[in-house]
Order: sequence, then C-alpha cells, then structure tokens
Amino acid sequence: MVDAFIGVSAGKFSALQQAQQQIPPLQRVRALLDTGASGSCVDPMVLTALGLQATGKVAVHTPTTGAAPAICNQYDVSILIPTQNAPAFQILTTAVTEHEFFKAQGFHALLGRDILSRCVFIYNGQVKLFTLGY
Amino acid sequence: MALERELAAYMQKLPELKEQEGKFALFHSDDFVDVYSSYEDAIKEGYNRFGLEPFLVKQIQATEQAQFISRIVAPETTAVSI
Repeated sequence: MVDAFIGVSAGKFSALQQAQQQIPPLQRVRALLDTGASGSCVDPMVLTALGLQATGKVAVHTPTTGAAPAICNQYDVSILIPTQNAPAFQILTTAVTEHEFFKAQGFHALLGRDILSRCVFIYNGQVKLFTLGY
Repeated sequence: MALERELAAYMQKLPELKEQEGKFALFHSDDFVDVYSSYEDAIKEGYNRFGLEPFLVKQIQATEQAQFISRIVAPETTAVSI
C-alpha cells in the first residue's frame, strides 16, 4: 500500500487553463500495488472529485464479471507517488478505469502492472518489505 | 450515453485500422481524427483539438483484449458491447 495523488492529466490541465476554469486539486488516495491487475483503477468518488469525463471504454474481467467482461469507462489522469528524499514518481498522463468497493477495503485505487511496468518492484516477503524503484 | 457515438464510429472504422493494431485512435462524435503511437499523444491531441468536449481514445485491437483485475471488485459498467 502506498500514499499517492491522483490529478487531471497534463492535457486536461492545459485544456482547463485555456478555458479559464479552475484546476481540481490533487486527490490523496491510499493505493494498493497489485501485480494481479493488468490495468490500474480508481474509486468513482475520486474521479468525481476531479470532475473527469470518460475518454475511453475498455473491457475488464474481475472475479465478479463471470464469463463476459464488463465494459468500463476509462479516464485519463496523472499519478504522483511522493517520496521523502528523492523527486516524486510522476506519470503525467495514464489511463485508469473506475471500480467501486475499494473504500470498504481500505484503499481508493489499484496501481496495476501498467504502472509497475515503469518501475522496479521488489517484494521481500521474509522481512515484509517492498521496494519501488523508478 | 457518454461516448456512444465515438465507440460506434470506432467499430465502423476498425476494419481499416487493423493494420495499426496497438496504436491509439482518436474519435470525436462520429468523426475519426487520426492514429497515434502512444496513449499520451492521442489524449494530448484530443484536448488540443476539442478542449473540454467529449472525445474517445481507443487502443486499436482486432480482437478486444480485456483487462484483468484479480481482486473482487464491482466494475462500473456501461451497457455497450465492444
């Protein structure tokens, strides 16, 4: 689990500036690093707070979808993971889908292999420690 | 429903786009705009051209590949098949 911030994408940031509209503040989330997720997803509450509209649609399988995948809205966002002694890990534009129930599970986002593929992720189970390098 | 027209336009255009599988196609309303090498480029161009109007960026896939999330979550679904 990591603390992260979700914001509008770089393109949306510029579009809002050009339209002289307010930029929604970054949303702080608890995010689960999930090697079992091929894509990343975020609780709808976070996406609503950012005032996002869908810019994509993708098919998604979860344990609850059965044989046929669900068709989910996809949103463009930026993701920032702060660190104490180094520049933050930041992706200015990436795609996420929306999924509920994360809040009940104690987090608001899953960061899947689409994000982890940009990092070195090491899990040392014996000492219960993970390292995220970028 | 959001992006319904754009998605229909993508499905109609898909046979022509198959040669560019893996790239990202941009649609606005019923119109195909162009194909881009990266998701970031397609999104940036979408906002440059259309501002805050709705647009669709879709990765070109001859056969739709579903994402997989192994945790038990309830997807926010939309009633359209792709």
